[in-house]
Amino acid sequence: MVVIKKLEFFTAKYNEMIPIKKEVAQIVEDSPVKQGIVSVITNHTTTGIMVNENLECLEDDILTQLGKCFPEDGDYYHARFLDDYGAMAGNPTGHLKAMVSGNHCVMSVEDGKLVSGSAQEIYLAEFDGPQERTVSVIVMGE
Amino acid sequence: MVIDMHVHPAFIKEIGYSKEKLEKNRQVLGLYKTEEFGLEQWRRDCQVSELDRLCILPLALPEKAGGDTVTNEQTAELVKKCPDMLTGFASVNPSEKNAADVLEYAFTELGLKGLKLHPSKQQFFPGDRFMEPIYQICERYEKPIIFHCGVSMEPGTLVKYSHPLVFEETAYRHPKLKMCLAHFGWPWVKEVCMLMLKYRNIYTDTALLYFDNPREFYHQCMEVDIGPRWIDRSLRHQVMFGSDDPRLEQRRMIQAIRQMDMRDSTKELILGKNAVEFMGGI
Repeated sequence: MVVIKKLEFFTAKYNEMIPIKKEVAQIVEDSPVKQGIVSVITNHTTTGIMVNENLECLEDDILTQLGKCFPEDGDYYHARFLDDYGAMAGNPTGHLKAMVSGNHCVMSVEDGKLVSGSAQEIYLAEFDGPQERTVSVIVMGE
Repeated sequence: MVIDMHVHPAFIKEIGYSKEKLEKNRQVLGLYKTEEFGLEQWRRDCQVSELDRLCILPLALPEKAGGDTVTNEQTAELVKKCPDMLTGFASVNPSEKNAADVLEYAFTELGLKGLKLHPSKQQFFPGDRFMEPIYQICERYEKPIIFHCGVSMEPGTLVKYSHPLVFEETAYRHPKLKMCLAHFGWPWVKEVCMLMLKYRNIYTDTALLYFDNPREFYHQCMEVDIGPRWIDRSLRHQVMFGSDDPRLEQRRMIQAIRQMDMRDSTKELILGKNAVEFMGGI
């Protein structure tokens, strides 16, 4: 059995981490799946899905250190006119941070509930906001 | 106060475009992958970019060229929805015989604050005699004009209509008419500087980014291609911040201006005070 749902977010900052485990857990509980897995997948190339501890110090560290890996004033090839868009490429740091964070996570479903460690939060990580964002949640199992 | 003098409102959800019209706007403006978005997106962009106000510029075109991207009436409606965030300009199609009447209506009845013209796209020379009634309306109501100037990446455009030198006759004939030669007339930035020096009714905006990132391109165009002190010493009252949103990104462009090597007071003029003076208030 497969249940597919979409979560919609309107981010507010250029870079931010938005906890979404609560919404994912609700989709799992609302689905008829009792045993299986849930995949959380972002639909975008400048966002990521991360699993980490929900602490503001860690959120800040993650964003700060990613910013040091990919500084805004770095020398990027993705800073040129894109004919297909008719617009300038201006968000290389967003793409590169998204590459590091990855586009998805997979968690267990047991007895109809999302299984996670006590410290585990699921984050939608925004790296080129503010924008309207969509996350696919796919519950698979029996 | 930070004001973006160059924003295109051709994809705003609240206008209620059909799918066909949205696609037509993409093709007309050459913004082939731009999605529709709501006014809330602009509000959030403003918060993140520390922008206070957007000047939205419609574009009037004949039907065979795709029709108006946004009408004057739609522009006025958007302003009415967000008067704290938006200032609206009008546009007219100079090839229409009633263009001056349409413009007068836009100023007197719709409350629009200036005129946007795109000679490359609308294919006219600013010095053409048939433009005189339009300029006279602007003078009568003390409204400024923003002209597209320099290269345009939109399809159906010819640069010969927008070279900075073709604007001189209009500035010469109408010394009280404030006119912005947008995009710094790129690649003819030195010519735009010459015109601003000679005609103090000529302004420009910073809506230019055709290579590299904003910091690098602004440095090249405004500190290398022209003297590094020309703006700061001589043209500081005639340069306004503009982004060309949604073709270009506001946030990085504002940061790039703040990082430029010029007086803080000059940056404040560029980022907002000159725009207020250009429009005769907000």
